[in-house]
Amino acid sequence: MFRLDGKVALVTGCGTLGEGWGNGKAISVALARQGASIFGSDLNIEAAQQTKKIIEEEGGIAHVITADATQADEVKKLVDACMAQYGRIDILINNVGRSEPGDPVSMSEQIWDDQMDINVKAAFLACKYVLPIMEAQGKGSIVSISSVAGLRYVGKPQVGYAAGKAALMQLTKTTGVLYAERGVRLNCVAPGLVFTPLVKRLADKYAKGDFEGFVAHRHKQVPAGYMGDAWDVANTVVFLASDEARYITGQTIVVDGGLTSTTP
Amino acid sequence: MTQSQGRLANKVAIITGAGCVGPGWGNGRAIAMRFAQEGARVFAVDKDMAAMTDTLALIKEFNGDVTPYTCDVTDSNAIQKLVAACIKQYGTVDILVNNVGGPVRGGPIELSEDNWDSQININLKTVFLMCKYVMPIMEAKGAGSIVNISSTSGIRFSGAPQVGYAAAKAGVIQFGRVVAVEYAKKGIRVNSVLPGLLHTPLVEAVLAGAQAGGDAEGLLKRRQARIPMSFMGDGRDTANAVLFLASDEARFITGTELIVDGGMSAKCD
Repeated sequence: MFRLDGKVALVTGCGTLGEGWGNGKAISVALARQGASIFGSDLNIEAAQQTKKIIEEEGGIAHVITADATQADEVKKLVDACMAQYGRIDILINNVGRSEPGDPVSMSEQIWDDQMDINVKAAFLACKYVLPIMEAQGKGSIVSISSVAGLRYVGKPQVGYAAGKAALMQLTKTTGVLYAERGVRLNCVAPGLVFTPLVKRLADKYAKGDFEGFVAHRHKQVPAGYMGDAWDVANTVVFLASDEARYITGQTIVVDGGLTSTTP
Repeated sequence: MTQSQGRLANKVAIITGAGCVGPGWGNGRAIAMRFAQEGARVFAVDKDMAAMTDTLALIKEFNGDVTPYTCDVTDSNAIQKLVAACIKQYGTVDILVNNVGGPVRGGPIELSEDNWDSQININLKTVFLMCKYVMPIMEAKGAGSIVNISSTSGIRFSGAPQVGYAAAKAGVIQFGRVVAVEYAKKGIRVNSVLPGLLHTPLVEAVLAGAQAGGDAEGLLKRRQARIPMSFMGDGRDTANAVLFLASDEARFITGTELIVDGGMSAKCD
């Protein structure tokens, strides 16, 4: 039942910049390990191709292209390309997203707009073009990667990201209700503090490059005493994408080692 | 599937309320069955041994490992004996599923004080007591996963007045969150599953009489009308969610809730 044999999964942001396991790469590989055929997109084609290579080395099936998930025409092309390749889309993973620092005073209007585009409009656009396909199939599962930053202040000023991720969860909840009768499920995964290659870049943005101090601080913030990793996110995505979650829609699963259940 | 394979290979799981009030997929039966299918050694607990007959037969069909045990889990002394019996049988406890519970109809005026007390006892105190006696074992080994069965009644008005049940199930959620944070560093995870309206044997055996003058079909139709999805889930949907949270796939998930309700709680009209 947990298997995804014969299913086609479209994953945005499927690559990881640099070595190690980011969410997009781990999600793509985890879905492929359950038997799904992957169609991945990323701004960075080398990163996407690295994911494809791993999947193929493990005997899985993957195609990747480059696409800007915030541009309607590129998303449309991405969905068309996936349909041309596989003829169906059973699973959509909205994984693109990015945090930029700032509060309303310090964040420029341009950065605010970019934050909305990457963190919530990208999912809206992918849903716009994928939902009709899933509706025609009578079945589909969409999983969007949100963040605990959409639920709480998590220690860094990132007001655009926080608002965008909260919007993503509500987009998911309302669309989940709208499409429930049509057999399409929509859910979010909200990771907490996760140790991925991205943490290096976050340390540059939020801790003046003090990588070790930043990592130690993040481990300490989590009640469990350690950050999760991309596989914790990927396992949850696989569960929600699978038929084991057939009665789950409009929900967010928080994967955070207890972070949002506590106060500082 | 043998005990050395599966997503819960060799894990020892205590499941309370593992019986079922009739044929079909109740939560407890489905959880016991799914756990055994995934290689768990299941210590199946119910206050009524006869209610577990079918559960045991289903698990034996594929040579699953199950040990039935009769216990009233509102009784502290009985629980201590239960835990000792599980340790004697399997040597440890890796997973605890607190599944016992059930609603009694009534708002604050209609519900008697006795029924209030018994609602809190069966739906919330059972969770407290089972944790009290199982958590030391998990703490000593530095690992464990507890999944409590709450309800969407703990976060919303459910359509029927059942104030004791609603308050107790909300209590289960918050109990899970705070215990999860306290024990996170000790390797014990605590989460809740919140089923919504399900088509379990309870509908025909109890709810039809209590809520619909025996008209099960009419009740099912009214329940379906409130669910955004085109079908009503059953105990297997609860079981798959519990399985995920109990397994190591969810090792970074603690202090949270998983709602399994076909989208019902996502809308209010």
